[in-house]
Amino acid sequence: MARWLARRLLHAVLTVAIAITLAFFLMRLAPGDPLSRLGDERPMPASELAGLRARYGLDQPLLAQYTTFVAAAVGGDFGRSIHYGRPVREIILDRLPASLLLGGGALLLTMLGGALLGALQALRRDSLLDRTAGVVSLAAYATPSFWLGLVLAWLVGIEWRLLPVGGFRDPLLAADASWMLQVADVLRHLALPLLTLTIVSIGAVMRYQRTAMLEALAQPFVAAARARGLSERRIRWRHALRTSLFPIVTLLGLWLPVLAAGSVFVESVFAWPGLGSLAAEAVGTRDYPLLMGVTLLVAVLVVLGGLLADIAYAALDPRVRPA
Amino acid sequence: MNVSAPSLLRRAMGVANGRAGAVALLAIALFALAAPLALPDPAIQFDIVDGALLPPSVMHPFGTDHLSRDVLSRVANGARISLAVAVIAVALSITLGAVVGLVAGFFGGAVDTILMRAVDGAMAIPRLFLLLLLVAAWDRLPLAALILVIGATGWLGTSRLVRAEVLRLREVEFIRSAQALGAGARRVMFRHLLPNTLGPLSVAAMLGVGDVILLEAGLSFLGLGVRPPTPSWGGMILDGKDVLQAAPWVSLFPGLAIVATVLAINLFGEALRRAADSGSP
Amino acid sequence: MLRTTLAISLLFGLVACDASAQRRLPGTLVIVSGEYATLPVPTLMEGPASTTENTHVADLLFLRLAVEGPGRSTLDESGYEPQLARSWSRRDSLTLVFELDPRARWHDGRNVTAEDVVFTFQRAMNPVIAPSLAELLQGIDAVRSEGQRRVVISFKRPYPEQFFDATHYVQPLPAHLLRALDPDSIAISDFAQAPVGNGAFRWSRAVPGQLLEFTANPAFFLGRPGIGRIVIRVATDASARLNLLLSGEADALRAPVPPLSNRDQLEARGFRLVTIPSSSVGYLLFNTHARGDSARPHPILADVRVRRALVLALDRDAMLRSMLGPYAKVPYGPIPTSLWLSELAPKAADRDSMQAAQLLDAAGWRDSNGDGIRDRNGAPLALTVEVPGTSMLRRRLTEIAMAQHRELGIDLSMTVSDRGVWMERLNGGNFDVIFGSLSQEPTPSAFPQTWSCEGSGNASGWCEPVVDSLMTAARRATGDATPVWLAAMRALEESAPAAFLYAPYDVVALHRRFENVSLRPGSPWMMAWRWRVRRGAEIARDRVPR
Repeated sequence: MARWLARRLLHAVLTVAIAITLAFFLMRLAPGDPLSRLGDERPMPASELAGLRARYGLDQPLLAQYTTFVAAAVGGDFGRSIHYGRPVREIILDRLPASLLLGGGALLLTMLGGALLGALQALRRDSLLDRTAGVVSLAAYATPSFWLGLVLAWLVGIEWRLLPVGGFRDPLLAADASWMLQVADVLRHLALPLLTLTIVSIGAVMRYQRTAMLEALAQPFVAAARARGLSERRIRWRHALRTSLFPIVTLLGLWLPVLAAGSVFVESVFAWPGLGSLAAEAVGTRDYPLLMGVTLLVAVLVVLGGLLADIAYAALDPRVRPA
Repeated sequence: MNVSAPSLLRRAMGVANGRAGAVALLAIALFALAAPLALPDPAIQFDIVDGALLPPSVMHPFGTDHLSRDVLSRVANGARISLAVAVIAVALSITLGAVVGLVAGFFGGAVDTILMRAVDGAMAIPRLFLLLLLVAAWDRLPLAALILVIGATGWLGTSRLVRAEVLRLREVEFIRSAQALGAGARRVMFRHLLPNTLGPLSVAAMLGVGDVILLEAGLSFLGLGVRPPTPSWGGMILDGKDVLQAAPWVSLFPGLAIVATVLAINLFGEALRRAADSGSP
Repeated sequence: MLRTTLAISLLFGLVACDASAQRRLPGTLVIVSGEYATLPVPTLMEGPASTTENTHVADLLFLRLAVEGPGRSTLDESGYEPQLARSWSRRDSLTLVFELDPRARWHDGRNVTAEDVVFTFQRAMNPVIAPSLAELLQGIDAVRSEGQRRVVISFKRPYPEQFFDATHYVQPLPAHLLRALDPDSIAISDFAQAPVGNGAFRWSRAVPGQLLEFTANPAFFLGRPGIGRIVIRVATDASARLNLLLSGEADALRAPVPPLSNRDQLEARGFRLVTIPSSSVGYLLFNTHARGDSARPHPILADVRVRRALVLALDRDAMLRSMLGPYAKVPYGPIPTSLWLSELAPKAADRDSMQAAQLLDAAGWRDSNGDGIRDRNGAPLALTVEVPGTSMLRRRLTEIAMAQHRELGIDLSMTVSDRGVWMERLNGGNFDVIFGSLSQEPTPSAFPQTWSCEGSGNASGWCEPVVDSLMTAARRATGDATPVWLAAMRALEESAPAAFLYAPYDVVALHRRFENVSLRPGSPWMMAWRWRVRRGAEIARDRVPR
C-alpha cells in the first residue's frame, strides 16, 4: 500500500509538471504578450515598449524564461502579475476563498443532490418521476450556464429583487457587522451563482447515480439481506445506497476541472471574484505570471482530486487492491 | 461479447427516450439542411432604425435582431454552422483519441507510459483554458481553425477510453490467436481491435457533439467563437446578451435551439450508452 | 431546493436591512466599472498601468494646479479654474508662475508645498521613470520653487499650449512621503497600495480586483463634499454591470456606448442618462504598407483614390443612427467630441456611391468577371478588417460596413481576435484594415503622435507631408492656431488614412437621487464631491456609518 501510494504521488507530481510545461509553451505560442495591448488607447513608441519588455524579462529566449519560471516556482515564488503589479500569490490567495466557496459549494450540492435524486430515480425505476427527472435533468445539463445565469439574474435579482446579482459580499456592509450578518451576506451573494452552477451540472451526477444504484439493487447481497428479513427501507437506504456511492466518489476528482471551467462563465455573469474569471482575464491580458499561477493551482487541485478519489476508491472497495 | 454499431442503434431505438431523441435529432438535422433554402441568411438592412429589435410577429415569428435580421432565419442558418462545427470537431477528436488510445494500449510499455502521462498532464488543465490559449494563437484561419482547436482539445478522454478497452481486449482469446498466427501490429490494431471499440466510441462521439455545441456557445460568449456575420447559435446569444431585458427574443430562441439539440443528443446518447452497457458481459 | 434557498436568503436579507438602517449620515455613490484601478498614482500610470480606470481614480484623489473649463480651448489661458494653485501669472512668453493655495493639505494633514510640485515634475519629466509623460512634457524647460508656495515653470520656446502643459499632465505627489523611496520601488510600496492624496476623497480600503472605497475628506479646502463615500465595484462582464444597476446595487455606470434599447429599462428603474463629450474616436485604419512588410506599398490601399472610395462608400450617418442613436457623431478627421475643434469642424462627407464608384473605376478596379466583386489584373478587391473580440460595437459596425461595401463591389471581411493578438497585428503592421479606437489627450497637439509620418503611434505607414507641416505650424503658431488646425484636418480627410466612423459621447447612467451633478469630459467622477443626495430621496446605503 505504501509503495502504491508513493508511486501515485510521484505520478501526481509528474502530471502537474507536464501540465504547467504545456501551459507555459501554449501561452507563448499565442501572438502578443502582456505589453502588446498597451498602444490600444494611447500611442506608444516602439523603443519604450522594448524597454518595458526588458524590464519584465520578456525579451529573453523562451527556454531561459522557462527555466527562470521553474526555478522560481519550485521555491514557491510565482512572480508578480504584470497587470496588477502585485505578487501572483497574493492575488490568488485573495480570490481563493470565493472560488473554493463557489466550487466547493457546487461540488457538494451537485454530489449530494445528484446522489439523492439519482437514487430516488433508481428506486422508482421507469415511473413518471424517474422519466421526468431524467428529461428535466438532461435539459438542465443542456443549458449554457451563462444563459441560465443571465436569466436567473434577471428574474430573481432584478424583477423580484430577492437576491443580489453580483459580487462576493455587500461592499457597504460595515466591517464591524456581526459575523452572522457577514455570513448571511456572503450566502445571499453566493445563492445565484451556486444555483446556476448546480443546475447545469447536477444532471450528469444523477445519471451516474441512477445507474450505480440500479446495479447495486441487482447485487446478490440485496437479495441476501431481504432473505435475512431486513426492512426494505434499511436495505435500500443503508446497503444499496452505500454500495452505489463508490462510482460517485471517483467522479469527484473528474468533476473539479468541469466546475473550474463552468465557473468561468458563471463568475463573469455574476461578477464573482473567483479564479475562473481571473484565468480568463489573464488570458485576455496575456498576464503570463498570473496565468501560470492559476493554471498551476488548478492543475494541482485536479490531480489532487484524482488522487484522493483513487485512494478513497481503494480504501472503500476491497476488490481494488493496488498491486 | 461486444456489440456491433448497427445492433447498438437498433437497441437504442427500442427505448422510448432513445426514439424521442433520435426523432428530434433527425428533425433538427433536416431543419438545418432544408431551412436555409427556404429562409436564406438575411442580409443587413440599410435602414436599420425601424426594423431593428422588433418583437415576434407574423412576419418575424422569432422577432428581429439589432441589424434588422429575421431571428428565425438566423437560427435556421446557425443550426447548420453549429452542428457542422460540432460534428467535424468531434469526428476529429474521436479519430485522434482512438489512434492514441490504440497505440498506447497495444504497444504498452514506454509508449503507453509516455502517451498516458502526457494525456494526464493535459487533462489537468481544464479544456476551456486550453481552448482560450489556442484560440488566441490561431485566430486567422477562420472557421477551420476553430474546428481544429476544438477537435484538438477533445480527444484526451477518448484516448483513455479506447486504451482501457484495448487493454481488456488484448487478453481476449481471438486477439491472442491472431497475434499467434503472426498478424502484423497494424492489422491487429485496425482489423481486430478498432472495430471492437466502436460501441463505446459511438457513445462518446454522440455525447461529445452535445458538449461541443455548448463549448462553442461558451467561446462565443467570450467573443471568441464563430465570427460574424456567419450565424452560429452561440454568436447569436452574444448578440442578444446586452439586450436581454429589452429584446429577450434575440438570445432566447438560439438558446432554446441549443437546449433542444443538446437534449435530443443526450437522450439518444444515453440510450446508446445503455444499449452498449447491457450488451457487454 | 430552489424555494428553500430563496426563503433562507430572504430571511437574511430582512435581517441585513434592519441592522444597517440605524445610523444616519449623507450619501453613498456606488460606481460599477469594467476594470480595476491597479495603480492610480500620477507619474506611475505608464506601461501596463496606463489605463482609463487608473486616471479616473487618480482624479478623485489628486488635484491639479488648475483645471481647464469644460469644452474650453486648450489655447485659451483664461478658461481655467483654480485647484491647488490659487492664482497664476505670466512673467514673460517663456515663464508661468503659480501661487499655491495655503489651505491645501495632504490627507495626512501636511501642507501641499511648492516642493511637492517640483518633486513630481522632476519625476514626470524623467524618461526613465515616466517615458510617456516625459514625451508630452518636452516643451517644459525647468520647474523650480520660490519659497513654500510659489512654483515657477519655464518653457523652451513660446507656444500656445504652455498653460495646458503646465497644468494638465502632472498631479503633484506628496514629496515628504516619497522622497526617501527608491524611484523604482514606489510602484510596489505601501504608498501605491493606499495612496495619500489631496483631493476631496481619501483612500479608505481596497479589495484588489473587486472594489475600492473612498471616504469624503470633511476638511477639503475647496468645500465640504456632498457625498459621504464612493465605492467603485468591478464587474468585467457588460451584462453583469448593467444588472448591478438594474438590481439597485449600484448607482452609476460609465458606458462608453450603451445598448440603445436598454435606455428605457434604466429610465424605468430610476436612472437618468447623462451625456458628456468623450475623448475617443473609432476608425477603420487603412494600411498603406503591404501586410507585415513595411518595405512594400499595399497593393490596394496605397492608392489614395481607393482609400477615399472606401470612405465614401460608407453611410456613416445610418450606421451611427442605428447603433448609437444620439450618442455619437461622425467625426471630421480624428477629432473627438471632447475637443473644442469638434464644434468648429465642418461636417464629414456623406455617402456618395457615385463618386466612390468613379474613384474605384479610375483606379482600375472594375468587375471584369461579373461576380459582383471588383478586380484588377485578376486580383479581387478583397480586404480583411481586424476587430478586437471584446468590442460588440466594433463588431456590429464592421458588419454594416461589410454590407455597404459589398454594394459597391468591395469584398470586406472580418477577423475577430482577442485583444492581445489584435494589438500584435496593429503594432506589427500585419493587417489590411484594422478597427482602431483612440482615446487621446484633450489637445490637438496629440494628433501628430498617431497621424503624422514619423508619429510614434503611426501603425499604417501613412505619410502625407502636407498634413505634417500644417500640424507643426499649428503647434507653434503665435496667433490663433484654430484655422491652421482645421486646415490640417481638411488635408488629412482628403488623404483618408482611415475611415473615421464614430466620435462617441460618454454616457453615464446615474441614479436620480443625486443632484447638483456635474460630469467632466474625460473624467466623469472628478467633480463628484459637489454632488449631493436629494433630501428625502435617501436610500438605505446613503446612511453612512462613520
